[in-house]
Amino acid sequence: MATTKLGFIVQRPPYKSENPKLALTHAIATQSVEVYLNEGDTVTADIAFIGDGVLNCKKDQKAMDYYGLTSTEQHIKMALLVDINIWVCKEDVEKFGLSEDDLVLDAEEFGADMTVNVVPYGEISKKMEEMNHLLFF
Amino acid sequence: MKLAVFVSDYRMTVDTLDRLSPEKMGIILVQNGVYHATLKENGTPSSLLNKSAEFYALKEDLETRGLDASKVDSKVKVIAMGDVVDLIFNDYEKTAWI
Amino acid sequence: MGKLTIGCFASLVGSLNLDFAVKLSAAAIEKGHTVDLWLSGNGTMLSIKDQRPFKDYSHLEKPLKELMAKGLTVTACEACAEARGYNKDVTMEGFKRHSMDWYLASTFSADRVLHIGGE
Repeated sequence: MATTKLGFIVQRPPYKSENPKLALTHAIATQSVEVYLNEGDTVTADIAFIGDGVLNCKKDQKAMDYYGLTSTEQHIKMALLVDINIWVCKEDVEKFGLSEDDLVLDAEEFGADMTVNVVPYGEISKKMEEMNHLLFF
Repeated sequence: MKLAVFVSDYRMTVDTLDRLSPEKMGIILVQNGVYHATLKENGTPSSLLNKSAEFYALKEDLETRGLDASKVDSKVKVIAMGDVVDLIFNDYEKTAWI
Repeated sequence: MGKLTIGCFASLVGSLNLDFAVKLSAAAIEKGHTVDLWLSGNGTMLSIKDQRPFKDYSHLEKPLKELMAKGLTVTACEACAEARGYNKDVTMEGFKRHSMDWYLASTFSADRVLHIGGE
């Protein structure tokens, strides 16, 4: 039995680049990874939003209304629903004049127990050390 | 953590590299990242070269851009693609393409 | 010898990231390593067969086929490909198509992972 820990680092804002969405959809795919692995083995994905990437976490996104696209906000909620750890860099949130009230922090309406963690960059840096592999988006 | 960071741009759109602080860092300059190894804007080498890291530049990407591999900054070692493979497997534990 | 998993999300034409990924795959295989190459997002453009080679555009079908013959495993994200109209009928022989969990599973047994994001 073994676990491979992947750290997904999202550095870019949403929509202009496909990168942030692909980070979330790939992370959510950990839910079905075990079909390829031996019993007891698994792969986990933690997601950290840093730099301009924290803008993905702004709540009240209306991408579906205007572009017919699932919003990054919805993908974050889906990630919480499947128990993915999400870390958001506190200093970068504050740099943009935002506060936790501006961010998607939970997915209670879907019954998710997990919540988004807004933490200093130092904590995210420590998490990166714990990961087996890092994927920068 | 021993981290190999691939830099593929000269003007970077993210500031992630400035924030990384692994125990050991190798910066591998590829594609337009190789300009960091050669250009001196207003006579000053790239500030990227002031970081605490080992520096490498991919020979074929230097020469693709008309840059002389023998004239890179003295901090930078010019390497071939096979050397990149060896760095990934032998010298560093994780990679970052930023 | 080890296993390298490379993920590349950039398009075939426009960034040279896929060229880099294929060249790195070749160098790793040459040294006796095993390589899995995962294409997602615009990177799935690499999976289309019979792309006409022009000298102004990256063209990787030939080296890719040679590497597949040497054991390179190349897989495209099925949803990303289908979203772009790259259906199974136009997929290069030897190219696999799976959902995103394939990439994650490949990292499980990988000694090293190089993730090259998109544009």
